[in-house]
Amino acid sequence: MGYTLNFAAVWRSFDQLLEGLLLSLGLAFISILIGTVIGLLVAFALTAKSGWVQRPAAIYVTIIRNLPILVLVLFAYFALPQMGVRLGKIESFVAVLSIYSGAYLAEVFRAGLISIPKGLTEAGLAIGLTLMQIRVSIIVPLMLRNVLPSLSSTVISLFKDTSLAAAIAVPELTFEARKINVETFRVIETWIVASGLYVATCSVLAALMRLVERRLSVPR
Amino acid sequence: MTVHQGNIMIISLRTSAFSLATAFILSAMPAAAQQATSKLDEILARGHLVLGTGSTNAPWHFKSADDKLQGFDVDMGRIVAKALFGDPDKIEYVNQSSDARIPNITTDKVDLTCQFMTVTGERAQQIAFTIPYYREGVGLMMKADGKYADYAALKAAGSSVTISVLQNVYAEDMVHAALPEATVDQYESVDLIYQALESGRADAAATDQSSLAWYMTQNQGRYKDAGYGWNPQTYACGVKRGDQDWLNFVNTALHEAMTGVEFDFYAKSFKTWFGKELTPPQIGFPVEYK
Amino acid sequence: MTDFSAFFDQLWIARFVILKGLGVTVSISLLSIIAGSLLGVLVGLSLVYGNRVARLLVRAYTDFIRGTPVLVLVLASYYVLSTIGIELGPFQAGVLALAIFCSSHVGEIVRGGLQAIPKGQTEAAKAIGLTFRQTFAYVLWPQALRQFLPAWVNTAAEMVKASTLLSVIGVAELLLRTQEIISRNFLSLQFYFFAGLLYFVINYGIERFGKYVERKTAVPS
Repeated sequence: MGYTLNFAAVWRSFDQLLEGLLLSLGLAFISILIGTVIGLLVAFALTAKSGWVQRPAAIYVTIIRNLPILVLVLFAYFALPQMGVRLGKIESFVAVLSIYSGAYLAEVFRAGLISIPKGLTEAGLAIGLTLMQIRVSIIVPLMLRNVLPSLSSTVISLFKDTSLAAAIAVPELTFEARKINVETFRVIETWIVASGLYVATCSVLAALMRLVERRLSVPR
Repeated sequence: MTVHQGNIMIISLRTSAFSLATAFILSAMPAAAQQATSKLDEILARGHLVLGTGSTNAPWHFKSADDKLQGFDVDMGRIVAKALFGDPDKIEYVNQSSDARIPNITTDKVDLTCQFMTVTGERAQQIAFTIPYYREGVGLMMKADGKYADYAALKAAGSSVTISVLQNVYAEDMVHAALPEATVDQYESVDLIYQALESGRADAAATDQSSLAWYMTQNQGRYKDAGYGWNPQTYACGVKRGDQDWLNFVNTALHEAMTGVEFDFYAKSFKTWFGKELTPPQIGFPVEYK
Repeated sequence: MTDFSAFFDQLWIARFVILKGLGVTVSISLLSIIAGSLLGVLVGLSLVYGNRVARLLVRAYTDFIRGTPVLVLVLASYYVLSTIGIELGPFQAGVLALAIFCSSHVGEIVRGGLQAIPKGQTEAAKAIGLTFRQTFAYVLWPQALRQFLPAWVNTAAEMVKASTLLSVIGVAELLLRTQEIISRNFLSLQFYFFAGLLYFVINYGIERFGKYVERKTAVPS
């Protein structure tokens, strides 16, 4: 007993934490962007009638979703070079998080796609649009609006997953926090500040998504 | 319990929310009880030592094939347990990661921590260090059939050399002290820095010479030492500040293991983990005063 | 392939250690799912039926928990609690952190399930003279349950994955056991891969179970 909180050492390194947070956000942004493209393609594949298209997509989603991301991170960085694929720390992590988000986002988008009535596609075809045009300009926008709530929570949890980049020494927020811990041993104070930064960031993300949700919602 | 006025001020300047949270936690904390008896008496009454150490760093603290904790750090704890109870096995281990070493001492989760802890001034303000039990230094390990022959070749190659090293604030400076232009890659655990060397991501691994020696004896012929050592650091166990009796006891136990009745215990452990025979302390005038 | 036989030799030596780690992983997951779900149902109910103050407090709780990486929750539970006088071992502290994490997820799932039911049903139930308690027990809860069971099973898989983070505070679950084995034989690639395989098998099993539940509870169309 008798531990006295002392934030001075943490404030001295506060800039380091902020830089880490910026990198976390950057990692999440790029990965989720790539993951969204993967997720959309895979979601359409998942809802395809042809087994040759549907099955590989389903296998991809099943494998990725059932693996702890830490295993994927270590595998990409340490096993792939032995097979001739060499990526830098950040590139390797972004690749993993993109593939990881792709699987999660695919599930989110799939749920959105099956909620869209078939009649829309038929109507689109009737007025002479191609299947691709229908998907890009009708189905995807509608689907995105429908899935915004679950998209929001997926995006936030993917942002939190950037903390695992610390395992391969990418200097994001958790890495910086651990570094300060080793330096000062002010473990409790450092985690209070670091988690505060995470919570604040997630709240901002959630608020932004809610704003988008409100602006895009169908007037009832 | 003391409240550092200055810190509270800094906090309230930063954000009032944090100072509120701090005040709450501080007021919720009962005043530290005056230590009536030493931890030494408490441990003797309890009948076993609570030792904090890790389980993933050979040859310091790691698991044997039959799942028993072993290594040089573990043996230091066993020396203390033997001094306490005449039985080196009366130990309850608390498994902790490196960044848990000091918090676990200050929050009373352990009586004693022996976990290759480098003595520094900053750490010594938070815990009390015992006398040292090992002097560590950094070395460089390369693949036996690798591109570079030795330390001189690594240094000559300048910035095209990548060194894998354990994550640490001083890691970059530490490597640059020996190889000023080398690229430094930091990793979370020892096996990852070896993995980086093995996969060709790094040209050499820089870490404690004890760990390198252990790894090279485990993998005969695959690796070589670059033949350069630097960066001395002292390893000592740690206890909570403010209990001189307990600190004295641990110091005495360790001291007698390195110079007195328990020398054989220490020397056997040294031989097992570092592969070197120690010469017994000279009889007669005590070695300490030479 | 000397690497392969070396791996299988080491795997055989470590078989009981891996089993023990697996056992700890399973017990962490089970305990945190059970405790987290009980707490989570309370959280969900207060989010839907609580008064303004309760809703605000519980909303703050779930937002805070969901905004923090689980690793941070685990560390805070182990260290921050002990400075305010609550002494927990690493296993207990870790399970507490995961249960809290789980409760915020289950809370959201329960809230979502209940709010997805059209208001008209409550009104209809009131019209035929059911009390709120009866409405909840016979009309709302069974439907909500059907809605959230599959999501709840997914949360279970998330908990298994999150249990890996307890290795940081020294709980000898599967990942720490794997790291211990690697620190002895340095076969990091093979053993991380093997651990991944085990996690996959567990989670895939849970996922299949979730799909089964989804089929069983689906409204026949």
